[in-house]
Amino acid sequence: MKPVLVWDIPTRLFHWLMAASFLGAWLSSESDQWLSAHAFCGYLLLGLIGFRLIWGFAGGYYARFSSFLHSPLSGLAYVRQMVAGKAKRYIGHNPAGSQAIFLLLILGLAVTVTGIFTLSGEEQQASFGIRLSVSLGRMFKEGHEAVAGLMLLVVVGHIAGVAVESYLHKENLARSMITGLKAASVDEPISRPYRLVSLILALAVVAFGIWWFFYALHQPIEKALGLQEGAISKPNVAFVGEKLADNARWREECGSCHIAFHPNLLPERSWRKLMAGQEHHFGADLGLDAPTNQALLTFLVTNAAERSNREAAFKINRSLKPEATPLRITETPYWIKKHREIPEADWRLPSVKSRANCGACHQDAEAGTFEDGAMQMPR
Amino acid sequence: MKKTGIISAIALSAIFTFSAPLMAAENTILESYRAAARQENPAFKDFSSTRGQAFHTAKSGDLSCASCHTENIKAHGKHATTGKDILPLAPSANPDRFADAAKVEKWFKRNCNDVLKRACTAQEKGDFIAYTLSVK
Repeated sequence: MKPVLVWDIPTRLFHWLMAASFLGAWLSSESDQWLSAHAFCGYLLLGLIGFRLIWGFAGGYYARFSSFLHSPLSGLAYVRQMVAGKAKRYIGHNPAGSQAIFLLLILGLAVTVTGIFTLSGEEQQASFGIRLSVSLGRMFKEGHEAVAGLMLLVVVGHIAGVAVESYLHKENLARSMITGLKAASVDEPISRPYRLVSLILALAVVAFGIWWFFYALHQPIEKALGLQEGAISKPNVAFVGEKLADNARWREECGSCHIAFHPNLLPERSWRKLMAGQEHHFGADLGLDAPTNQALLTFLVTNAAERSNREAAFKINRSLKPEATPLRITETPYWIKKHREIPEADWRLPSVKSRANCGACHQDAEAGTFEDGAMQMPR
Repeated sequence: MKKTGIISAIALSAIFTFSAPLMAAENTILESYRAAARQENPAFKDFSSTRGQAFHTAKSGDLSCASCHTENIKAHGKHATTGKDILPLAPSANPDRFADAAKVEKWFKRNCNDVLKRACTAQEKGDFIAYTLSVK
């Protein structure tokens, strides 16, 4: 028995990068403002799995699927032997461990694909040119969350298995996944390092990361150089929504005292009531002449919540009782629920001041898109 | 050296003395308010930027014009309720101000109602415009 190379470098790189992207995706999943990082982890995971599927046929001996094609039943049997403390030692993946690998690859594919469809449905981000309805996107989101939970279970099982195995056979399996070495007799097959493939894989991941986060690296420098707002780097994968219906008169008339709230944020009946009561517009008399009022109403009604495919429009409209005709967006049940966790002190910040000041946190409030990824809590 | 200094000082002050009324006269909206003010009050003489400034800062209830437009009308203002950014009021800082008669009337109607709970007189409007034009 002497240390031999079992895990080639690409396999090790893949393993830890996959672990990191999975962890990163979990950590960035809670808050909408980390959506860009979350999506980055997802795409990275998808790319890594794609590589691993190829490497399962082209890689070193122990990386190839053919070297650990154990059936689920033999995996279960192996777990039982482990519990009994008499499981056989494998140089490559044991039958239980290989189940974890196949499961994680399948679940990883499922979680990234459902994630992409969630983006293209619920967030209306046309990934790969696909755009789904909000309700379909929501179904994918439920699936995405369920698969992610399942994947976490398998990860926990995998780590527990590694710990038990390491204890049973008195070897540190986690360290082997770093060094690639395991003690084996000389007649066992040996792997190769595959340095060039590793280099290409590492460079590809770094390049993808730089491309994705290029704006974040560059913005501080460009701001320090005093570049104009328009010249400052923007994300290559911008989490900005589609261009919504716009109207110069609406912007002019409705955007002077407050931001021009996009018509998709209230249903048609609210806009009709609001414009009919323009003399008493939250304490002010708008004094709009009839043609202006009519033109504004037409734009508002044409683009009202029930005619929009935006997530916020869908959810605001769905949250309203049929008999309710709110005049303030902040009175809609969805708005209230969505903002319930914001402390009162935050509303009173000088940069916020009012619940009507959507732009204090939603950077795309003027555009009316209210992308999850464009949300930034004020400091 | 000293001579040229004196000459340029004279020239500069001449420009200022002549240009101020000239520029005020260029504002046709102000002229139309002048006509309206004469109708309103036969004793009307002229608009006063000093009165306009006093009007700008005078509180009626909780509000004055300055509540939103700030005391420095060359600076950006901020809506008292919504916090919305308001562009500077002084034409010297924002040439679009007092350039469109319908727009000016619309805002006088709205804002006078908001602050004073009544319409403004032509005298008040003219004084106010004279004040904004006087801020260089």
